[in-house]
Amino acid sequence: MNEKDLRTIIEQVLAEMNAGGSAPAAACCAAPAGEASQVEEGCIPDITEIDIRTQYLVEEPENGEEYAELKFNAPCRLGIGKAGARYKTLPQLEFRAAHSAAQDAVFNDVDEEFVKAQGLFIVQTQCDCKDTYLTRPDLGRKLSAEAVATLKEKCKKNPTVQIYVADGLSSASVAANIPDLLPALLQGLQSFKIDVGTPFFVKYGRVGVMDEISELTGADVTCTLIGERPGLITAESMSAYIAYKATVGMPEARRTVVSNIHRAGTIPAEAGAHIAEIIKIMLEKKASGTDLKL
Amino acid sequence: MILKTKLFGHVYEFKSVREVMAKANEEKSGDKLAGIAAETAEERVAAKVVLSHLTLNDLRNNPAVPYEEDEVTRIIQDDINETIFNQFKGMTVSEFREWLLSEKTTTAMIRHASRGLTSECVAGVCKLMSNLDLIYAAKKMRVQAHCNTTIGVDGTFSSRLQPNHTTDDPKGIIASVMEGLSVGCGDAVIGINPVDDSVESVARLLKMLDEFKNKWEIPTQCSVLAHITTQVEAAEKFGAPLDMVFQSIAGSQKGNEAFGVTAQMIQDGRDMVLSRGTSTGPNVNYFETGQGSELSSEAHNGWDQVTMEARCYGLARHFQPFLVNTVVGFIGPEYLYDAKQVTRAGLEDHFMGKLTGISMGCDACYTNHMKADQNDIENLATLLVAAGCNYVMGVPQGDDCMLMYQCTGFHEAAALREIFGLRPIKEFDAWMEKMGFSENGKLTPKAGDASVFLRK
Amino acid sequence: MNYLHEVILSVGIDIGTSTTQLIFSRLTIENQASSYMVPRINIVDKEVIYRSEIYFTPLRSATEIDAEAVKRIVREEYRAAGITPEELKTGAVIITGETARKENANEVLSALSDLAGDFVVATAGPDLESVLSGRGAGTDVLSKQRRITVANLDIGGGTTNIALYEKGNLRGTCCLDVGGRLIKVDNGRISYVYPKIQALAKAHGIEVQVGDRAYPEQLYGVCRLMAAQLAQALHLTAADGQHAGMYTNDGRALPPQPAVQAVTYSGGVADCIYQKMENDVFRFGDVGVLLGKAIRADPDLSRVELCQAAETIRATVVGAGTHTTEVSGSTIRYERSKLPIKNIPILKVSPEDEASLETLKASIIQQMPLFTPEGKAEQIAIAFTGEKRTSFAEVQALAAAVIKSAKEVIQGPYPLIVVVENDIGKVLGNALNVLLEHKKDVICIDGIKTLSGDYIDIGEPIAGGQVLPVVIKTLIFNS
Repeated sequence: MNEKDLRTIIEQVLAEMNAGGSAPAAACCAAPAGEASQVEEGCIPDITEIDIRTQYLVEEPENGEEYAELKFNAPCRLGIGKAGARYKTLPQLEFRAAHSAAQDAVFNDVDEEFVKAQGLFIVQTQCDCKDTYLTRPDLGRKLSAEAVATLKEKCKKNPTVQIYVADGLSSASVAANIPDLLPALLQGLQSFKIDVGTPFFVKYGRVGVMDEISELTGADVTCTLIGERPGLITAESMSAYIAYKATVGMPEARRTVVSNIHRAGTIPAEAGAHIAEIIKIMLEKKASGTDLKL
Repeated sequence: MILKTKLFGHVYEFKSVREVMAKANEEKSGDKLAGIAAETAEERVAAKVVLSHLTLNDLRNNPAVPYEEDEVTRIIQDDINETIFNQFKGMTVSEFREWLLSEKTTTAMIRHASRGLTSECVAGVCKLMSNLDLIYAAKKMRVQAHCNTTIGVDGTFSSRLQPNHTTDDPKGIIASVMEGLSVGCGDAVIGINPVDDSVESVARLLKMLDEFKNKWEIPTQCSVLAHITTQVEAAEKFGAPLDMVFQSIAGSQKGNEAFGVTAQMIQDGRDMVLSRGTSTGPNVNYFETGQGSELSSEAHNGWDQVTMEARCYGLARHFQPFLVNTVVGFIGPEYLYDAKQVTRAGLEDHFMGKLTGISMGCDACYTNHMKADQNDIENLATLLVAAGCNYVMGVPQGDDCMLMYQCTGFHEAAALREIFGLRPIKEFDAWMEKMGFSENGKLTPKAGDASVFLRK
Repeated sequence: MNYLHEVILSVGIDIGTSTTQLIFSRLTIENQASSYMVPRINIVDKEVIYRSEIYFTPLRSATEIDAEAVKRIVREEYRAAGITPEELKTGAVIITGETARKENANEVLSALSDLAGDFVVATAGPDLESVLSGRGAGTDVLSKQRRITVANLDIGGGTTNIALYEKGNLRGTCCLDVGGRLIKVDNGRISYVYPKIQALAKAHGIEVQVGDRAYPEQLYGVCRLMAAQLAQALHLTAADGQHAGMYTNDGRALPPQPAVQAVTYSGGVADCIYQKMENDVFRFGDVGVLLGKAIRADPDLSRVELCQAAETIRATVVGAGTHTTEVSGSTIRYERSKLPIKNIPILKVSPEDEASLETLKASIIQQMPLFTPEGKAEQIAIAFTGEKRTSFAEVQALAAAVIKSAKEVIQGPYPLIVVVENDIGKVLGNALNVLLEHKKDVICIDGIKTLSGDYIDIGEPIAGGQVLPVVIKTLIFNS
């Protein structure tokens, strides 16, 4: 805060004190020290709505306008100024807010009611809890025995395309994207007249579980919509991993990936339409991953 | 050697040095994932007891991967000075620990001992050290290296400026470089992790950094952290300026194969920079390592991640690097579960690197699926400076938008320098003063104003 | 997998009042998104690779362009450059200034269309010409780099086109009847004088008549009056009684703000401003040299900084050939067989009308008659921003609203073309397709900003079919 700001604030405070001058003197004496604090109407603005690309906190910069323009090219926490050799309070709180969203996205489970409302039934991998999921990637790639039985019972056999949703590393991503991403994908496939199997949700699922699902359903193309590991820019990013005739143990390079699906990246509805086209091409070329030139 | 002990009357018997080494580790989720960790807290201590009685000779004789099968083992074993080894080989790990900590043991004596230690010896003693032991012992050791400037001089503490960008956008990268420099980040190296690792793109980024460095006469070194062969090709094909060559390495030949690298490639890269690079040298290699990478590529040969990590340093030592840093929390909770494990790993790696005799830094970091936060990373960075670490990373406010992880921010090095009374590398310190960013080692009010670089 | 680096060829042909020129340029397009992300394809580099001779525009009479002669010039230049029409992916042919008013301008354009490659052919309105010359002169870039307000004055034979940029953003355009060939001189005598200039001179007590002896001092006096009109157009001095009448076709003036800080000059007269030209002032048979001198000496124009233009006489053609093409977003929907399409008028729904679907529908229905002369729908493109309608359900409702309000298009013979700014082109295209039960061709592109009154051309796909080149012709800017 520079001197001018400080003066403005002091003047403001003095003005307010004068305004309160007509209040009974008793109220003044009741306050233990200084001005009495009162709960006021109003709401402090949401710091998570600040766009870090345009935020610029350096005081009296030499060429501020130019730097603000330059830093707009970087989705990073730049132009944040300093307090001594530490951070200013606002960017510090923004960072904490972003990290809190990321942690909640990872460590909370997807709301089962929400999943059902999307028309998806739920199966689980061999992970019994989030902790197992995080520390045992191998178990997140295998369906539980119960899941295998459920899929055998409920899923359409040998569909052209099998789509399913998995929480992956961001439950927030599922809630934020699936209501737009999934119907847009299904509509895109419908507009290409491509047959789609029964969609479902895999709890504690890693990408690799798609191979077992592909073998189980006998689909030509399997597509998983899975929560990405959150960063601080967004905790809601989702990826689609798509493979032509995926098999257990196949090389990772056989998966085609569309990442960065979220409202500030590729808009989920648009991404759904895009993925539908990729699947169409995949079916025509009978290949995926590095074998498929898009 | 004896592989059996009793604790509270209960007998613990281990089948091999490998098992002792694994179970003597502090708890790590990666060792559990590998199925080699101690099953109980008591078993862990039993393993430490057994380990304390093994001699350095026992450890040298039990390399993690057989000499015949593995070039990393061969390099480590062949680099040993036998005279020095003979002075130490009879010591038990317990005695060696106390020797390191002893007030009679000097910096110079440890540097001398380093030449006789294999990575298994280094890892072994590490396992008997508490966190404060690791700091106390590491503080004694200093390793200097010179590329364009000298890193590791007593009284200095450095940082790597890491201006990563989601699309390698040159303007965005430069904006980040400017802000980092304005708070004193970047005296170790300005190093970009590129998104597009094509030769053309790497060459473009190297040239861009070099131009900026020259324009503002910044006494430092630059690097683009692509595969070593890509950097060499960028220099050969497009005349890209190389101050040093970067490579990620692992502690076994198989692990290096997963990175697509061999010792010969590293040697070729080094020779290339020495003969045609842009730096003074003689230390022109930059390596990154991190506990767990061998397990993730199934190249750990049943050994624990601390020992495999020590072997990275044994390999690195062969090339006399300018910088080595352990990327300590990037790999995820299946290897380092939480802040406690990350902190431990950071201190272990730093200690082991220095004991091996290399210029050691640390990327103290965490991903968002790990139970850690920025406070933990600030703690670790502070402990590392207390331990005399050569450098840490610096990214805008600790948030790397491209690698999607958090580490130490631009401001951390400056704050830690002020707290511990340290300075950047001498020439860089003078440059900061010239630019008006610092005065007597303290940031000025002008520091943090990156727009200074947009002066017309 | 998304690595992309493609070079496309673009042509610019400018048939102006006095000169005809052609350039070829190379546009480099690259995918700037990281791998595994939806491609973000942009033009990253533009380079002029061939500049033609500068020809006098062949005229058959005072009111007619010699279409055959123009065609010969163009064909000859293609040959000289070693480029065939098939190699061209985009570009613009424009007839500018006075020439656009010639009786057979459209005939010339259609004569050229087979030579120009399968794309854009258009007459440029004065606003478009101002923008093209401003871009060709590099004024937009200069204003952005220096962070100041710069006007480019493209002074040709018959008109002066002005474009005003503030920190790289276009703030206004205008066009005045001020040019070097509005008075022609032949054998020491005045052979032609444009009536407006005659009147301007007369108002200041200078009589100029065809047939009079051409006195440099007297005509310099007229040129000073023209220069003063330019200063007035830039609001550097107060407008006099004649000023309002100087705008071409009663066009509008520049907005008074932002204030001009610097100028660049392009067009045929520009070199006479930047360089002192001595000796015979009538060597070009007109008053261009005198006008240049008068502009250089004008006290009001001299109050702002004079900057060098990147292109002078070729600014408009470079603008047309190099700076008209944009690329659409990469997630779009189109019917390849229907491309390219040219000169499509934009039916724009204003951002205010987009606020609700009811007003959006009403806006389309109200504007439709403008595009349906004699009750038959022309080929049009419906455009809006598409902001804030990004959820799947909102996109469905949006598609339904478009279909409901654009009945004439749906029932007509042409494809339904929708142009949006926001990245929803593909999902909206799919929704339209499904709602129309695939019975109608749909072209739905995004990443393109248009204004009411614009015309667009949509070229054949590039970058492996991921994007379409689009040329937007802004015919009216100031409003």
